[in-house]
Amino acid sequence: MALILKLHTQPDVPLEADCICPDKFAQLSLQQVEQLPVFHGNRQVALGDFFHCSGDNDGHIQIEGDISKLKHIGSMMSFGSIRISGSVGVHTGAAMSGGEIIIEGDADDWLGPEMLGGRIVVKGNAGHMVGSGYRGSTVGMQGGEILVLGNVKNETGHVMRRGLIAVNGNAGDFTGVNMLAGNIFVFGEMGIRTGAGMKRGSIVSQTEPQMLPTFSYACRYRPVFLTHYLSYLVESGFSIDPDMTRGEFERWCGDSVELNRGEILFYTGK
Amino acid sequence: MTDNIKIVENATCTFCGCVCDDMDLHVDVEEKKIVKAKNACVLGRAWFAEHTIEDAPAAMIDGKEVSIEEAIEEAAQTLVKAKFPITYGLSDTTCEAQRQAVAISDFVKGTIDTTTSVCHGPSGLAFQGVGESTSTLGEVKNRADLVIYWGGNPAESHPRHFGRYAVTPKGMFTPGGKKDRTVVLVDVRKTKSSPVADILVRPKPGKDFEVLWALRALVKGKTLSNDIEKDTGVPLDVLKDLVERMKNCRFGVLFFGMGLTMTRGRHFNSGALLALANDLNEFTHFVAKPVRGHGNVTGADNVVSWQTGYPFGVNFSRGYPRFNPGEFTTVDTLSNGHADAALIIASDPASNFPKKAIDHLKRIPIIVLDTKSTETTKDAHVAFRTATYGINTTGTVYRMDDVAITLRPAFESPFPDDETILTGIRKRVHELMLAKHKAHGASGEAKVASPSKD
Repeated sequence: MALILKLHTQPDVPLEADCICPDKFAQLSLQQVEQLPVFHGNRQVALGDFFHCSGDNDGHIQIEGDISKLKHIGSMMSFGSIRISGSVGVHTGAAMSGGEIIIEGDADDWLGPEMLGGRIVVKGNAGHMVGSGYRGSTVGMQGGEILVLGNVKNETGHVMRRGLIAVNGNAGDFTGVNMLAGNIFVFGEMGIRTGAGMKRGSIVSQTEPQMLPTFSYACRYRPVFLTHYLSYLVESGFSIDPDMTRGEFERWCGDSVELNRGEILFYTGK
Repeated sequence: MTDNIKIVENATCTFCGCVCDDMDLHVDVEEKKIVKAKNACVLGRAWFAEHTIEDAPAAMIDGKEVSIEEAIEEAAQTLVKAKFPITYGLSDTTCEAQRQAVAISDFVKGTIDTTTSVCHGPSGLAFQGVGESTSTLGEVKNRADLVIYWGGNPAESHPRHFGRYAVTPKGMFTPGGKKDRTVVLVDVRKTKSSPVADILVRPKPGKDFEVLWALRALVKGKTLSNDIEKDTGVPLDVLKDLVERMKNCRFGVLFFGMGLTMTRGRHFNSGALLALANDLNEFTHFVAKPVRGHGNVTGADNVVSWQTGYPFGVNFSRGYPRFNPGEFTTVDTLSNGHADAALIIASDPASNFPKKAIDHLKRIPIIVLDTKSTETTKDAHVAFRTATYGINTTGTVYRMDDVAITLRPAFESPFPDDETILTGIRKRVHELMLAKHKAHGASGEAKVASPSKD
């Protein structure tokens, strides 16, 4: 049984709750968990001022209630799990290195920024900057996986270096912008300027994206490695056209203003 | 007009980011009016001529006239009570006042943001991501032989930019003025700036990034297909010619405006242009400068950077500065309903922000410092009427190329200046925060649990 946090008071300004993390809860009694500090705007208060705490502190946390004003949930977590019954605010899973976060609703901007490992699953939509680096940072996500069953907005995987981001729905502009390496899958439509400034890495799309003038056509083929990725994503709850596993993809190389070692693969049909 | 005319030589116009400091102002001392502004452009003449002293209360609380001391007390109490106070504006006041505003935000653990976030904020992000090859406008005047304007219309927004800094002035290495320079204008439409250009490039709307990316590829010696014309509206030959000119000039400059920063792609558009300037430094000397709007918006960036380490969108709620545009920028803190009090300095967000942000602004207590009545002052809980910088008060402002310039006021105002009011609020806020800290002790820290030893 998990430790259950039930929201009893809605914060009137953003609540920064980076203490909601299995690492920070480790070895604490329920009473001590309720006394952990959170920032209600500029006031330091206790977690218990907003949440009832019950269950067993066994490394698994379940959060109930609308926590869309809560920031930094699961920041820096390295083990265990957090299950969120509704929608969650910004910076969820920032720089996490292990464990799992499951979000039943929507995630706000900066989901899993600069993440090192672990897994985030969003059953709804996510905002801008999924798995990206913070402003001024040269490296974003460095490992782990982010799976979004809905849509995402702009700059997904900005400066990502390693790991997997998969989106079952649509993505906004600048998907994989300046990415250093890693894999991004989008099964819906993508916005403009996909892969701008990418050095290495793969962006896989079910539909043909608008190509920048600095990307060049390479070939049409059946990439074997995709079969494994796609079957893994289907197991994870993605709805994917089964023909994709056997179909052909066009491969485009880019971005030629950088190393030109990145690739955009899009499905061309059976 | 009376005979009592005072002449203020080398005064500074603070209307736009050009901050021209060669004005000769003829001031009617009795009527407190500037009757002539020699050397001013059409915008500067209007700025000086329309400035008169209005008969209005210096301070009001909820629309009722009060003393300045009462208003300062109420403003300080409001800010100290708030859990998420925001400070916004700052681009039309002096650096000295901006410095006080940063101190207030720091003391009340609030969020400070400037009008940069709604104009060249994307360029601020791009500077951090890409870097900035920069120079002063003096260097441009003396050295530049290739001047490119991208996404701006200086003839109407900064009328003296051409004549004083970049196109026609005769410099040390450009003795022929315009004859020694090639001027390129990149814009989606013809404007009043177009006649100045030797080369006019007109990309399709929203295709600036693609054109910049294509130029970067050509500078790096990559080949591009002729499809580029279909995609961007600019023929490949035009791009190739421009690249040759850029690579072979002695000193090139890219001036960019909000046509680039505030269209789809935003900071990536600015970043692409800055990256192009960086790439060109492999071949020649090339710089890129944003053409800034408000008189001291550059000063706001400089002061906030100097004091906090970041140029705008800085939050102090954890006691140390954190920078995150999109989270701590004013449009976002208001639209998301996060702010619970606002200190607005020399800006009018109630008339130019998105509706959702304005709706929230009207729900929270606002403290406003402005030289005139605006939409924001109408909704203000505490409103101060202040003196105009550059006309009534001295101080320091930064020109768009980060050069500091001292102001020479023309005549005195009956209203206090922004710095005086903000210093008063800062002192009172400090006292209140100290008293609060003493009263509560370290109760917050005492609640922090430590892991049990067993």
